[in-house]
Amino acid sequence: MPPQVFRLILLTVAIVGSYVIARQLLTPPSFRQYGFYRGEALAEHASHTPVFAGRKACLECHEDIQKKLFKDAHKTIGCETCHGPSSAHCADPDSAAKKPDKKNTTACLRCHEANPSRPVTQKQINVKNHYSSQKCAECHMPHQPNEVP
Amino acid sequence: MALDVTNVVVEALPRFEGYVYPNESGTHPLWGFLIVLYPYITGLVAGAFIMASLVRVFRVKPLEPVYRLSLLTALAFMLCATLPLLFHLGHPERSFQIMITPHLTSPMAIFGFVYAWYLMAVLLLELWFDYREDFVVWSQKTSGIPGIIYRAFTLGVTDISEKAIALDLKLGWIISIVGIPSAFLLHGYVGFIFGSIKANPWWGNVLMPIIFILSAMVSGIALCVFNYMFLTWVRRRKLDMRCLDVMGMYLFYALVIDFTVEALDWIHRVYSAEEGFHVIEYMAKEKLFYTLSIGQVLVGTLIPLVLLGSLQIIRKYVSDAARKRIYFTCASCILVGVFAMRWNVVMGGQFFSKSLRGVMSYKLEFAGAEGWLMGLVLLSLPFIILTVMIKLFLSERLPTTGHVPHRVDDAVSEI
Amino acid sequence: MKNTFSRRGLLTTLGAAAAGVLSFAAARKAKAAIKTVFVRTNAPKDYNPYDHKWLMCFDVDKCIGCGLCVDACKKENHVPEGPTYFRNWIERYIIKKPKPGSDAARGEVIVDSPNGGRDGFPPTTIPREEILKSFFVPKLCNLCEHSPCTQVCPVGATFDSPDGAVLVDPNYCIGCGFCIQACPYGCRFLNPETKTAEKCTLCYHRITRGLKPACVEICPTEARIFGDLKHPVENDPIQNFIQKNKVNSLKPHLGTDPRVLYANLDKEVR
Repeated sequence: MPPQVFRLILLTVAIVGSYVIARQLLTPPSFRQYGFYRGEALAEHASHTPVFAGRKACLECHEDIQKKLFKDAHKTIGCETCHGPSSAHCADPDSAAKKPDKKNTTACLRCHEANPSRPVTQKQINVKNHYSSQKCAECHMPHQPNEVP
Repeated sequence: MALDVTNVVVEALPRFEGYVYPNESGTHPLWGFLIVLYPYITGLVAGAFIMASLVRVFRVKPLEPVYRLSLLTALAFMLCATLPLLFHLGHPERSFQIMITPHLTSPMAIFGFVYAWYLMAVLLLELWFDYREDFVVWSQKTSGIPGIIYRAFTLGVTDISEKAIALDLKLGWIISIVGIPSAFLLHGYVGFIFGSIKANPWWGNVLMPIIFILSAMVSGIALCVFNYMFLTWVRRRKLDMRCLDVMGMYLFYALVIDFTVEALDWIHRVYSAEEGFHVIEYMAKEKLFYTLSIGQVLVGTLIPLVLLGSLQIIRKYVSDAARKRIYFTCASCILVGVFAMRWNVVMGGQFFSKSLRGVMSYKLEFAGAEGWLMGLVLLSLPFIILTVMIKLFLSERLPTTGHVPHRVDDAVSEI
Repeated sequence: MKNTFSRRGLLTTLGAAAAGVLSFAAARKAKAAIKTVFVRTNAPKDYNPYDHKWLMCFDVDKCIGCGLCVDACKKENHVPEGPTYFRNWIERYIIKKPKPGSDAARGEVIVDSPNGGRDGFPPTTIPREEILKSFFVPKLCNLCEHSPCTQVCPVGATFDSPDGAVLVDPNYCIGCGFCIQACPYGCRFLNPETKTAEKCTLCYHRITRGLKPACVEICPTEARIFGDLKHPVENDPIQNFIQKNKVNSLKPHLGTDPRVLYANLDKEVR
């Protein structure tokens, strides 16, 4: 074999060989376990801690309130929609749960302020001409919006 | 100053008009100046290589004076082609994964292999076969660091018998033939990176790889003209006018084909006027007016087309000095124009929202990782490398032993 | 002669080294197969990704644009603050009446999404009598069956998991941004802190624990319906939704085949 060709073949073998070796060493072990990706990535995603506890968790202690809630128009709303993320309160029931400020109207207005883009079935008020001096909770009970306090 | 420069192409706030998806409304383009450089540099590589193939494969004898220069140009730019990509990554330290676990449905993953193939199996190999004899001779004559370098590049093979040289020529010729489709592959695939994105009507286009290849050829030949003229000027030598005329001719042919295909692309876009055409129209008329209409079409295409075209007809009546100036002007115009074309493709695709309801404005920084300064550094790097290479491998003090293309005919006829 | 002999020796050594490495790699693979993925510290142990197929549906007519879902997503997933990083967002469409004298069926379409809708929507400046129709559209990752984003990822850092979620592996992503360019729906962004691509994970840490994604949990009007196609529950909301409504998806002409379905979608929504 001509010397230059042999030298090149040797060089090629060395390059391809080191590539093969590098590839074996550097491919993550769980690669291709489920598909063309690191299988462990699934577990890593799953291992984050939830911030919102979910309605079922609230039900464990607050069944009475939920019973009331289910009877009325706000039955589709999850607890944490208004009360905020509660997994900390769930893990340790003694820790204070967030209570929506009854004096503040923004929580209610977020859904009920009149907006032409909202579906007509949504109950909406025009803040200026709907008892603007009073707070929502004076006339509406959040858990039973159709009942009068 | 920096602001004035950037504002030529990108006006100041507001950042966007109309509606853009919230994730698209950032202040910086996701792919900035560096990604404009990347197809530009790769294109110059492919073009310069094809220029060299004209000598080797198509046996265009008048171009022999620029054969080695164009191969070295291709190599110098090839060595820098990955840098803009690497610097723009969020995690450059993970870039090796592209080679270790290449996702074969991704055009970008194939890059590692196309690049490695082109660099090692085509460019370096062709240069080695071409230079091997010279390396052996030079290494015996030269001492010091250059001598060591030449000796290392012989790879320990010192056989320069008549038979061995004939084999070198034959193998080099085969590699050039393999090299032409490889050069097309290298740059066509860069076009495919953009052309395959169906989400973006500015990019998603079957003609994109072809346009990239053709504009690559144009820019590569222009770069060789530029380098050749610059090098002879620096060395105070006389230009080979026959060589220059032939380069100008090929430049003109390549430009005609490139112009035709790009025009076809636009005619198709305008005629079919698919969804999103109103955005594309707005972009061409407003956002990209300077870079598209002035830079790409006028400076990069029409002016050189007219100048080179008329030279083809009236070359005999134009003096050498005037022709030199025209060639130099055309080469510079084309280099600017093709850069504008890359800019229009890369940035144009990010100037409008994929909701097709709004356009964004970006301001490129002067400093910063994706700024102008970084881009200029990366763009001057291949020229620095090329200077070193010319000092080492095109030195006037080292006479080349029999020039390859002179004997390539005999070698080929033996096959 | 001696020369060739040493070359042969070198080749033999190389071959032996390659064989050694290959067998070593096989051992690693076997180890990985034994080690199932969900034995990690915090991840739920009994979740099998092959045993689920998640689906998300929207009823556009029920969305009131309160923006609580956007807020919940940011909190649940620690999405970077700032108005350009969203895993989900809400768009407001306002379709004006046609100009007087024009024979168009509908007028100009105005779309906005201030801060992704996270703070709700301020009243529009367009007078009510000029509005022909207006509505909100919630958006998130479309969970494409043929996802263009995973197709273009050069290293396999973003992938379609067997249960239908399209995820990004933040420890493997190189941050090239190709997937962000390839997503037709603008659902991805580059996280400025980690410098990796990020997107909706369908709250993977929640659905693997039997919880609903945060945006679904929080939606006050049941505009978002979420469920498992492989385990239909009694009176399954997903099945009911699909039976009852004529559903549509976004940008169907791109052939991405999204598994996020919309009911009552207007043609202007892209």
